[in-house]
Order: sequence, then structure tokens, then C-alpha cells
Amino acid sequence: MSRVFNSRRLGDIFSHVYIWVCLIIFVTPFLALLGYSFTGPQGSYAIQNFQYVFGSFRNNLVWSFKISVLTLLIDLLVALPASYALVRYPLRGKQILFSALTLPLYVPGAVIGIALVLTYNFTYHLTTSIWGLVLAMAVGTFPLMLTPLVVALKDLPIVFEEAAQCLGATKWQTYWKVVFPLIGPGISAGLLLSFIIVFNEYLVTLFVHPPGLTTAPLRVFNLVRTAGLLPTTAALAVTMQLISFVAVLAFFRIFGTRYLKGTYLI
Amino acid sequence: MEAQRRERSARLTRVGLILPAILLTILFLYYPLVFIFRMSFTVADSFLSPSGPVFTIDNYKAMTDRYLPNVLVTIKLAGLSTLVNLIFGFPFAYILVRKVRYRDVVRGFMVFPMFGALYVAFGMRFILLPGGIATPLLQALGVENTQALYSLPSVVFAMSIFTFPFMVMNIGTALSNVDPTLEEAAACLGARPLQTFGRVLLPLTRSGIIAGALMVFGWNVGTFAEPLLLGSINEQRSLAWTLYQRGVVQTDYGLSTTMGVVLLILAFTVTYFSLRYSRGALLE
Repeated sequence: MSRVFNSRRLGDIFSHVYIWVCLIIFVTPFLALLGYSFTGPQGSYAIQNFQYVFGSFRNNLVWSFKISVLTLLIDLLVALPASYALVRYPLRGKQILFSALTLPLYVPGAVIGIALVLTYNFTYHLTTSIWGLVLAMAVGTFPLMLTPLVVALKDLPIVFEEAAQCLGATKWQTYWKVVFPLIGPGISAGLLLSFIIVFNEYLVTLFVHPPGLTTAPLRVFNLVRTAGLLPTTAALAVTMQLISFVAVLAFFRIFGTRYLKGTYLI
Repeated sequence: MEAQRRERSARLTRVGLILPAILLTILFLYYPLVFIFRMSFTVADSFLSPSGPVFTIDNYKAMTDRYLPNVLVTIKLAGLSTLVNLIFGFPFAYILVRKVRYRDVVRGFMVFPMFGALYVAFGMRFILLPGGIATPLLQALGVENTQALYSLPSVVFAMSIFTFPFMVMNIGTALSNVDPTLEEAAACLGARPLQTFGRVLLPLTRSGIIAGALMVFGWNVGTFAEPLLLGSINEQRSLAWTLYQRGVVQTDYGLSTTMGVVLLILAFTVTYFSLRYSRGALLE
């Protein structure tokens, strides 16, 4: 009896050790960069690296934020009506339509990049405008906005809308006063996922960025390729990851994790 | 008459609501994909020449003659990282679903790889450099730093870290739908753990495992930063990287769009099956 108990106990301990070893491996690249970003030329602590981030890299960070905000706006404008139509109205070929709309998520970044840079060059003439970059980001991330919205709308009983309409609300009023607040967590989940992806995107950006515009992740990529490993580059990468992590933590605290169901963030 | 009018306006609303999404995807995804598909059948940059494009299938011949190693190495990298994710992901997902109560902490840790393969590869490169924190470990194994840095295992390792959460998510979702009493029943009936795994758990979570594996493979086929920062230029030349070199640096649009098409086919064949197994039921 006690041997069974012991072996079970041992298995449990081993399980938790396994989980923690994996988790530590996940954060090791980040921690290594964090440590490196605090080293100076003489091996001393150098907070200057982070001053550099907000000095020399400031423009890049500002661009990243601008592109993210614009992309999220477009994502919302496109995904809010689309999700409502997909869930609430009878549409023919709904399943295929949904798959076709979410397919951009599975196209490799380099393929989206080369396809867009060529069409921008020769058909749309968008190469010098930031809208080219924003729309490229939007097409890649709006499936991430759409999926949580669809899940949230499906979980929302239709009786709320029926009640509102019985009381004389128009369709428009029903949507903004009843549906929109109730699917708030779903919307936030979509915003979070899209933000994380857009904010850290470097591959499509590498192809379609307008001349003179470098987002922060692209700056990291360029610097790693051309200048080798510099503590200042590590500081920028660390800053980007910390900003993303704070966004995730804030979401977890406010909404919990269940609204991310059906998306790829568990 | 009135009913007909209303019916029509309702249909217009429906179409109007979903139209922006359709337009966005067609204009910025499907049309560009058709565009590069057409371009992949033209000579170099003849697509732009005033005398009109010169059509050819030489690009596809070049793919099989000269660039087959790139295709194969891309498949190999994606396949190996999928395998690593499967082997380490299943136990992880099992423990996470059955034994762990601090799941939010695990989720918090697991978001780090998702911020991008670039940071993972950058961090790994720093770890593996001579004098990096992995040096004692590597010395214990009898491996030189530079040997480890520019090698297949380190590329696969970085790719696996990047996609591990996707695998765990897919398997975990499937596992949480399996009643734990089934395992207990199997154990009561005298099945050993390995038998329980093979005869009960594996068949019941098969769809999740397949979906996860295909998803991971599909994502890793487009690998770009990891081979560039951690691999050697001669051996781990992924398709995505060669595509960038050919298309943007050397402006050989014919060849680079051909690589794009091949990459797309690789990603889509697996995605097709993946969607059938995982997301298909979302709108039912």
C-alpha cells in the first residue's frame, strides 16, 4: 500500500518538475536577453541601454504603436459586422465562407509578403503609403479578431436582442446598447490577440514597409542581421516583449482566460 | 409587395455586413495570391516589360533541379520540429489538464514564445554564443559553442519552442474532453499505463493530436528567422529565406513567386486537413 502511494507521489513530483522545466525553457531566451540588455561596455550594469531604447529607437516604437492601433481599428470595423452576419443570419455556404475568411492565418508570412509587395508595386501603387502596411497587417490578423467574436456571439442567447426589440429598440440600438457590451470580453480577446501579433510582426513588414518606416521588431531584425548582437538591440527586444506581456497580464486579470477559447492562445 | 421589399432589404443588410470582410480578404490576399501564381509562369522580371510577359515553366523546372534541397530542408525542419513538439507536447498537455491547478501561471509563461520566432531565435543565439550561459552545459556534453550555434538541432529547438503552445493547446483541448474515469476503468480492468495510453487515450485524442501536428507543421513551413540566426547559410536554407533573397534582393520575380507558390502548397495541404479536424465545428 505504501509503495503504491510512494510511486504515485513520485510520479506527481516528476510531473510538476517536467512542467516547470518546460516553462523555464520557454522563458530562457527572454531572460537571457533581459540579462544581456543590462550589460554595459565594461560589463557593468548599463541602464543606458534602455535610455537608448527611448532615445534612438523611439521612432520605431512609435511607428509600431501607430501601425498596431490603425490595424486594430480596421480589424474591428471589418470583424464586428462580419461576425454578426455569420452567427445571426442564415447565409448559404457559411462554413466555407468562414474558412475562406480565416485562411489568411495559415498563409506563411513570406508568401503574404512577396504577394503583397508585388501587387502593391504593380497594381495598387501602395508602396509608399503606410496604409499598405496597415492593410497587410489587417488581412493577416482579422481572423484572430473574428474567431473570438463568433464564439462570443454564439454563446450569447438571442433572447436579449428579442427583448430589446420587443421594447421598441431599433436594430442599431439593439446592437450598440445590448449586444456590443455583452460581447465585450470577446472583443477584448480579439484585440489582445491581434495586438500581440501586429506589434511583434517583422516578416510581412520586411517585405511591405514603406521606405523610411521601420517598426521596432523590424529594427530588431535588421540590427541582429547587420550589427551582430548588441545590448541595445536586446534592450529593444526585451521592451517589446514586456509591453506585450503586460497586455496579456492585464487581459488575464480583467477577463480571465475563458474568452480566449477557440483561439490559439488556449 | 411590402413583404418582398422587406425581404430584399434584409438580404442587402446581410450581404452589406459581411462585404467588408470579403473585400479585404479578396483584395489583400486572394487576388495577390492569384497574381503571384500567374507571375510564377513568367521569365524573371519580364512581367513588367513593355513588350509583355514571357511565359515559361522554367521556374518550376528550376525548383526541381536547383532548389529541391531548399524544399527538402524546409520540410525536414518543419517535420522534425513537429515531431519534437509531439513527443514533449503530449505529456505536457496531459499533466496540464489532469494534474496542474496553477494553470494560469502556466499560461502566463507560455505566451512568451508566441511573441515571435524572432525573439526566440535572437535569445537562443545569445545563449549559444561562445561565453553565453549555455557554455557549461555544452562543455559537459563535449560540444563546441560554434558547433552548437550553427547547427540543425538548435534551429529545430528554436522552432519547437515557438510552436509548442499551439501543440499543447490542441492536444489539451482534446484531452479535457476525455473523461478521466475512462482511464481509471482501464486501470481497474488491469491495463498497464502504456496500454491505457495506447488503447484509450490515443484513440480518443487522435483528432486533437493530428490537428496540432498539422497546425505546427503549417506554421513552421514558413520558418524565416530561426535558420537565419541559428543555422548555417549553406545547410539550413529555408524556402522563405531564399524567396526573400531572390525576390526582394535580386528581383527575380519569376523564381521567387514560384517559391511562394510551392511554400503555399506545402502549407495548404496540411492546413486543409487541419481545418477539417479542428475548427470545422465552430459554426455548426
